[in-house]
Amino acid sequence: MTRFTLAPVGWRPRVPPVKAETATPDQLAALEACPPAQRRSTYFLTLANDPGSLGERGALFTTVMYAEGGLDRAERELATTIVSMVNGCEFCTSVHARRFVELTGDEAAMQRILDHGWAEEPDPRRAAICRFAAALTRDPSAIGGADLAPLRAVGLTDLELLDLIHGIAMFANANRLMLSLGDALPP
Amino acid sequence: MAEDLIELLLGIDPDDPVGLLRRQRPEALRHAEGAFRELLLPAEAGRLSHAERAALALRIAVAERSEPLVRAFRVLLERAGGAALAERAEAPGITGEDRFAALLRYADKAGLRPNEVSAADIAALSGLGLGPREIVALTQLVSFVPYQVRLIAGLRAVQQTQAKR
Repeated sequence: MTRFTLAPVGWRPRVPPVKAETATPDQLAALEACPPAQRRSTYFLTLANDPGSLGERGALFTTVMYAEGGLDRAERELATTIVSMVNGCEFCTSVHARRFVELTGDEAAMQRILDHGWAEEPDPRRAAICRFAAALTRDPSAIGGADLAPLRAVGLTDLELLDLIHGIAMFANANRLMLSLGDALPP
Repeated sequence: MAEDLIELLLGIDPDDPVGLLRRQRPEALRHAEGAFRELLLPAEAGRLSHAERAALALRIAVAERSEPLVRAFRVLLERAGGAALAERAEAPGITGEDRFAALLRYADKAGLRPNEVSAADIAALSGLGLGPREIVALTQLVSFVPYQVRLIAGLRAVQQTQAKR
């Protein structure tokens, strides 16, 4: 798993992105639904080619990652990093690993996960989140009530569980978009 | 529209425990339904018909073994007049060299093994006459079904643990 890094990874689209200056009103409205800091990124401008899906999917992404309350934001970033590693998305892994470090200041913990995986994760709450993120990503058809027991045991509430499921599901989506529509450019 | 696909497939009412839980995240509920409609039943389908969209969504749901979504997309496919595509969509391999075979080939890669998608696969879609809009819509579609699959699987698990309490 050594190809995963905290360093910024670039992304080059395989489909021409929309240009902000020549975007249609529909495309601009769809971009407005995306997270403010990223709505002029090459990635979102590429998705703006189909404004109908971007408007809904961008708004879904924003609420899943940033909605107030519920699962701690750093834990959402942790889960989405694990999903991205399982799916082999170097770009998404580097973005969300960095956000985790920004929010927690715990670079050592994230570097350890990027280098060696999460099997030996010492923090029980983080370990439970990582294991569930990997399991729901790999084989959703095998997930049942028993898989939630370790999460409940470390104190996740129903709302935190919902946020976690939303985050994991969102990155099944995000990783596929990123891997299919462009090339990752390693640092 | 009051109806919500995820709730329909889970067989729950809005005031069931999982329904109430989901309403603590109303935007996630609303936009998951919105993305589903924009991708499967868009007002302007462009060069990717409703029947083709339903067939490709069905293929991903079959591969991911999500029975509720398989049933839902079969119905959508039939309603879109694409019942003739069902057999090939649900078959494990790909037969033929026509447009639908090329769409299936891309759906399998982007939806199931996205690490394997290359620039040549995107160029092949252009070769079918799909423009940037349809290529993005197609990729969104086969990337969104995996979202639905995992949301339903996760909510089912929550449902099971709540029933036991």
